[in-house]
Order: sequence, then C-alpha cells, then structure tokens
Amino acid sequence: MTNLRLLIPAFLLLVSLAAAAVGAARDKDATDSRGVLLAIAQAPVKTRDWKNPYEGDADALLAGKKLYGQHCAECHGANARGLRNAVSLRSPQVQNATPGELVWFLRNGNLFHGMPSWSGLPDQRRWQIVTYLKSLR
Amino acid sequence: MIRLRLSLAIALLAAAAATSASTARAQDTHYFVAYSHHLEEPGNLEVEFYSNYGTQKAGNDFIAPWVELEYGATAWWTTEFYLDSQSTFHDSTVFTGFRWENRFRPLMREHWINPVLYVEYENTTDADKTLKEVVGFDNQFDFAERNSVLNKSYGHEIETKLILSSDYKGWNISENFIGEKNLGHEPWEFGYAVGVSRPLRMAATPSPCKFCRENIVVGAELYGGLGTAKSLTLSGTSHYLAPLVAWELPNGVSFSLSSGIGLNDNSHRLLLRWGVSYEIPGFGRKVRSLFR
Repeated sequence: MTNLRLLIPAFLLLVSLAAAAVGAARDKDATDSRGVLLAIAQAPVKTRDWKNPYEGDADALLAGKKLYGQHCAECHGANARGLRNAVSLRSPQVQNATPGELVWFLRNGNLFHGMPSWSGLPDQRRWQIVTYLKSLR
Repeated sequence: MIRLRLSLAIALLAAAAATSASTARAQDTHYFVAYSHHLEEPGNLEVEFYSNYGTQKAGNDFIAPWVELEYGATAWWTTEFYLDSQSTFHDSTVFTGFRWENRFRPLMREHWINPVLYVEYENTTDADKTLKEVVGFDNQFDFAERNSVLNKSYGHEIETKLILSSDYKGWNISENFIGEKNLGHEPWEFGYAVGVSRPLRMAATPSPCKFCRENIVVGAELYGGLGTAKSLTLSGTSHYLAPLVAWELPNGVSFSLSSGIGLNDNSHRLLLRWGVSYEIPGFGRKVRSLFR
C-alpha cells in the first residue's frame, strides 16, 4: 500500500515530464509562401475573409492596446518586439497574416510552443487586440 | 489564531498586489468547484486564498480556508498544489491535508467542446471541509463528528475528472464528470459539476478602469454526488446550486464570491465561498534565473 502511495505521484511526474519533452521538440519558426508563420497560416482558409468589426475604430485600438498590456506584453514585450522565445509581433511573419487569421490564432494558440489559447476572452476583445496588432505594422 | 493569520496574509497579499507594477491577467471563469478548459498561462503562478463557510443542521458551522498554488507548466498542462484547513465553531482548528492536481489538454486546438483530463492525488483527513467536490454519498451529516475524531482518519485518494468546456459568445459552459477512488478498499465514487459564466461586458473600454462591467464576471455552478460504482444514483447524496460573482482588477488580483444553496436534506443549507487570487507573471522564468 505504501509503495502504491509513492508510485502514483511518481507516475504523474514522469508522465508530465515526458509530455513536456514531446511538446518542446516541434519546429516553431517555419513560414508559408506568404512568409506567414505556419502556426498562424494553419488557420482555415475561410478566416482570411473575416472582416475586423473594429477596423479603423480608434477606441478599439486603445482598448486593444490595454488588453495587449494585460495579456500579451509579458511574453511579447511592452513594445511587441518579442522577448526570449516569443516572436516579434511587428515582424512580417505576423503582420502578413490577415486579421481573421490572427483572431483565429489568438483563439487557438499554439499550445505545443507555449502560446496559450485566449478563447476565454470574448470575441470582441480578441478583435480589439488584433486591431492594435495591425496598427504596429 | 489560524483564521487571524490567514486574514493577515490575505490583507498583505492584497496590499502587495495593489501596489504591484505587474499587469498580468488570467482569463478565468472563477468557478469554485467546476473547471473549464482554460489553463494557467505558461510560466505564471497564481496564488489563491479561498474559504468555505458552511452551516450545519447537525453539528457546528465551520470555515474551511485553503491555499492554492497554480502554475502553468506549459500551455497545455497546469499543475496545482493545495493546503487545506478548517475551523469548526465551538470545536477546534485543524490542518486537514494537501492535494496535488494536474490538468492536461489533449487537443491542441479549440473545438465546440474542449476536453481536459484531470488527475489529483489527495492526502487529507475526514475533517476536510473545503468541499472542493461532492462525490459518492457525501452529505452534511459526515461533518457532525468532532474534529478530534474526524482528523484521525487519513484518506489517500486519487481523483479524476473529465472536464468538457465550451466558449460561446462570451459565455463559458463547463461540465465535469468526477471519479474518486480511495486507495484503501473503497469503491469508486462519482460526482458532477456544471458551471456557466460570462463577463458583464464583452468588449473592453479604451481607458484603464477598475470598477467597470468588463471586470465583473457572473455565473452559477451546480454540483453534487452521483453515488458509487455499486450504486449510481442522484439520491442519498447532496446537491448545490451556487451563483457566483467575481471582480478582476487590471493588476492581476481578483476577488470571488459564491453562495451555494443546498438543494436537498442531505446538503448543507448554505456554503458561502470567497477568495482572492493574484497572478504572478513569468514566475517560472524568475525562479530559473536565480539558478543561473
């Protein structure tokens, strides 16, 4: 019985470490023919036609900037030029993507490479963040 | 005394957080019992203090505070450590054990329904009154004994959950199916938890704000037991309906409150839960940098 009590936490730890190692092994910098990061370009083709409901909206841009500071700046930097492993959001690999692709990517994330899914944010807030990101071009 | 120290610790945490320059905010559904598929952001540590006040029809009312340390190990794996305690009026205050929980997202993209696998090891006594889940034939009369008796009986348990969760138009809808096994020779016990929540305002406002609708989350939870592997049933166990409200501050602090109402005679009449949490962004990186 004592052995079982020790084995279960040890098993959980091993499974967790093995899974983390698998996740770290994938290539994350590949781009498609447009020069868009593959992780973003994997968005369904229909997302390229999605219109940003806040395009040209100055309030949405400010709201997006605020949300960026709350949710994204920790990894991508206050100036969005990227920190450590997180890409620069001003780079062509990101800016060449359509707003629809970006909002899809925000919703799905890239879990294997550390980008969390932001599906817990309402659609409106994700679009506001995209409005801000597109202003960085 | 423990209650006083805990209150002091919470006050200090709140004061430190209020003056902090960091601005990380989680995307939280603020459920107390149910889980959604939203995991902790990788590298972030969320420090949480919660408490559960329960009324007893038989026996004395109680307050059960607990501490959670929730860490985003990766974007698809969150690990969490709990320390539980409780104080029963006209009785005593006791430490009731610890729990270690892990949640994994097996699917790497968002779907209509998003599964999460949950595994937890619990080393707690029968005096544990945090009621983080209701399983088997749990009922309020289990708590009628004195702490000196309940705290002698240690349980080593594995708890598993299948978490199914969806986001739709700002709403989160989560369903949890719980299976708990005492590592002694007890049968599997089952339970359920369902939660719905949403922010009061979907779009963010352009300027920073604290007291605004976008920072308020409202919702409700429904949870209870489902009997055991030998007798799968909704009767003979307890069930609760708990409206909840949470206030998220822009600097990563959030406050939550839930008022659970017992739905049958086996339930506590009231389970009043409250909590404060603080998100420490980049915690893992900061710790790693200490060892370089």
